[in-house]
Order: sequence, then structure tokens, then C-alpha cells
Amino acid sequence: MPARFAVRAPDPAKAGIGLRTPHFEALAGSRPALSFLEVHSENYFADGGPSLAWLERFRADYAVSLHGVGLSLGSADPLDAAHLSRLARLAERIEPALVSEHLCWSSIGGRHLNELLPLPYSEEVLEHVCGRVREVQDRLGRTILVENVSSYVQFASSTIPEGEFVAEVARRTGCGVLLDVNNAWINAANHGTDARAFIAAIDPATVGEIHLAGGEATPAGFVDTHGAAVFPEVWALFAETIARLGPVPTLVEWDTNIPPLEVLLAEAARADAILAAQAGARRVAA
Amino acid sequence: MPARLLGRLQSEFAEAVLGGDGRAFARRLAGDPGLAQRRLALYRDAILANRAGALRAAFPVVARLVGDAFFEEAARLYGEESPPACADLNRHGATFPAFLAAYPHAAGLPWLADVARLEWAWQESLAAGDAPDLDFAALALVPEGEQARLRFRLHPGVRLVRSAWPVLSIWEANQPDRDGTPDRDEGPDAVIVWRQAQRVRLARLAPAEAAFVDDLARGAAIGAAGGAGEGWDFSATLARLAAHGMLCGFSVGDSATA
Repeated sequence: MPARFAVRAPDPAKAGIGLRTPHFEALAGSRPALSFLEVHSENYFADGGPSLAWLERFRADYAVSLHGVGLSLGSADPLDAAHLSRLARLAERIEPALVSEHLCWSSIGGRHLNELLPLPYSEEVLEHVCGRVREVQDRLGRTILVENVSSYVQFASSTIPEGEFVAEVARRTGCGVLLDVNNAWINAANHGTDARAFIAAIDPATVGEIHLAGGEATPAGFVDTHGAAVFPEVWALFAETIARLGPVPTLVEWDTNIPPLEVLLAEAARADAILAAQAGARRVAA
Repeated sequence: MPARLLGRLQSEFAEAVLGGDGRAFARRLAGDPGLAQRRLALYRDAILANRAGALRAAFPVVARLVGDAFFEEAARLYGEESPPACADLNRHGATFPAFLAAYPHAAGLPWLADVARLEWAWQESLAAGDAPDLDFAALALVPEGEQARLRFRLHPGVRLVRSAWPVLSIWEANQPDRDGTPDRDEGPDAVIVWRQAQRVRLARLAPAEAAFVDDLARGAAIGAAGGAGEGWDFSATLARLAAHGMLCGFSVGDSATA
């Protein structure tokens, strides 16, 4: 079946933003230059209605990324066939440039916690997760990106450093990595590990997207709220990462305490400057 | 760690976070157990906030009527009683109206559960499938003698909510631009919820109109639909339903057409 229109690809030298309902009107009115728009897949699982109509409208002007928060890739339960079917239906309708999920679990024994929970990192869990990634890729007929999550705890039974675990999922399944620089920084701060070592473990060729977001410092640790501006330390780590990887489509996420569109666009412009500088440096070097 | 052991670890994690006993489970986590326990509480806080946030988004009028503290507590108890049944939190809340109807702290607010039913109907209408507009040209071609055999199809976004309380007045008075004072304090409401031009809308129906919509929903032919024999002219109601996009198709007799 021919595509109704070409699938737009994100511009790696520009940032994208998360598409959120309060910004629909403003975004449609101003149509700012953005690399891509990313949505939480589950928010478009409806049979019809305005959200899907808006997304189809934006789809004509922007590359779209479907970012799932509920597939529970790392759960010991079987994959939720109904959830996967809804995702497949949405992907068929929207023809997204990117489809991503989290390397985490969020349900067990039919109990839904609706939160991105960390995995123990061991060879057996790695094999389990790889099998699930293959299952999803087979069902969707495309490769997906998997994202490293933020975590507040680590399991005593973990035997593989997180960066190696993520890299190995990509190597074994052919999936890409959605490298969340904020999550890498938060985990290092929470667990006393090295964010740079984490990023260094990932094969640059597998990184298909980068996430940036803001968090919150609490007495018990850093929390990944997606409800504030990006931390200065995370901007620094992002610049280092881009220097290593070259420009990669980068998303600024802001999901709670959603600010006016201009605030979000200003964050995206800051990422743009870092991406463009690196793209320029590479052109000069070539 | 085979999948069986992974499942056990995840079940214990879920129980430690939601059941509230993080102390024993902290031994399975790296680092200081006291800190690990406080970190587990971060997950508990996040899970409860996600659930309450989903309900707050679906039931803004209920939230305004009862205030933050009441709503948070009701959301927490509801989450324990009826935890989310799927990964999509947008579906959390289908049974929240029934929970409120039986919630002892809401006993002094007898209309609250019905307002919640109206809000959930609004959510269902928003997410319902799209449908074509009624084909008026094709409808005009139905011979007069056949009209009593017309069966109309309601748009998938149509819902009918009946209450012994003036729920539409309460709902309207608690929209963001209103001060919360309803124009009626008592008396029943039959409210039709529908989606037109991708906006969810609400309107009050007279009892005969509501009975007529019920009959249409059951697939009754026009000639047998409510109001017949009561001296009530259904054609005006039918025209109103059609003009507002509440009808999306019709058939004559048993034959399915437009």
C-alpha cells in the first residue's frame, strides 16, 4: 500500500518538542521550525476524536515520533497483545518516523503500576528483554528505539553495568537506542555511578534519538519529573555527548507543569545551538 | 535470573511499593537499606500521583466540587479498590462514579456520583470512533411510505446520562469561567453528550426526547420509537438530533444503507 504522503525524517541538527494538548492551538498557529514532534503513544489509542485529528494534521507538517510509556518491555508477564495491537494500529495510521519504548517494566501479574520501573541487569534479564524487543519489532514490522530510564534504586542482583546492558540490547536485536541524557545524569547522581562511562558504553551508530528533560532534587534523591527546565549539568553532558556522537535528533520533554509554548521552544532553541555548532564543526573538519 | 525469578522480584517490588512494606524488600536493593526504602517511597508517590492525575484530568468538576484533599484521598482509595486495569491511564476511572456512589465521605453530596458519570460520558465521547455525517440527500430520497421503517444510527460519541439531580446545571456552573452556583438546585436532568466538529457538547433533553434517543440507540424503527401515540411530534427532535451531528447513518427496514 503506497504511503499517503512521504514519511518525514527528523533533522538531526535541530531539536524537537513533546506535543502536548495545551499547545495544539499555538503550535498550529505559529508552526515553528522543529526537527520533529513526539507524542506518548497511549494518548492516541482512542478510536477517534480530536487528539487523533490534531496528530494527523501535525503529521502533514512535522516528522512524528511515537513514544510508548506502557508496553512494559521488561516485565516477566507476556507482552500485552491488546496494547501492542493498539500501538500497531496507531503506527499504521500515523506512519511515524520513530517508534520508541522504555527499557523498563510497569506491570506484573496483571497489576499495573503505570510507572517506568528499573530492571535488574543480568545476562538472563538481557536475553528476556531482547526476546521481547524482537517480538515488538516483528509485530510492528520495523525497528524501534529503546530508552534508558531514570532509577531511584538498583538491584543487588545486577551484574552488568547499565550502559553495557543497553548497548547489548541494541547489538543483539538491531534496535536503536533512545539515549536519555537526563536519565543518565539522574542515575549517576542517585547511585554514585559515572554518567560519562554509561554514555561511552553505547555504540554511537545505534543512537537514533536523544532526550533532555528537567527533574527535581528531593532529600531522597533526584526525581525525573519532566516538569522543569533542563539542569545545567545535563546541558553540559548533552554538549559532550553530541561532541562524541555528532548531531542526533534531540527532544526536549516537558510533561508536567506544562509551560507556555514559548518556554518550551526556548529550551529547544538551546539544544538547537549545541546541535548546530557540532554540525558546523563537522562540516569544517570534513 | 530466569523469567520466573524476574517475575517474583517484580511482584515483590510491586507489593513493597503499593503494599507499603519497603523494609524487607530493601535488602534486595543495592546500597544503604534505609535510603533504598526512602527511594521506594519515591516510586509509591509517583504511582499515586499518576493515578490521581489521571482521575483529575477525567473528572475536573468532581475535583472542583470536593476540593484537593478530599479528591486525593478518594483517588488513593479508589486506586486500592480498583487499580488501573491496563497500561493506558486514560482508561483509569471507568468505575470511579460507582466508587463515589458508595463512598461514605460523599454521602452528603448525593449528586456527586452522577456528576462523575456525566464526566466519564464526556471522556467516552471524546475518545469514541469517528463517523461520517448523515447523508441528508440520501435520506430525502426515502419514499414517504417507507419513513416509518427508518432506523437511525447514533454517532459513536453519543451518550445519555439520566440523574435525579440537576447534573447539567452543576456541571455548567463548575466550568473554569463560572463561580460554581448552579441555575437550578433540584429536579432531574437527562443529558445528551455528543461530539460535533471534534468538540464534546452537552444538552438537556425533555423526558420524551430522552426516551426517543433510547429507542434509537436500541435500533428501533422511527414508527415504533418513543413518544408515539402521546401527541408528541418526534420529527422536531429528529431534526434537532440530525442538525447536531448526533446521527451518522440510517437504514430502511432491515436493509443497511448510508
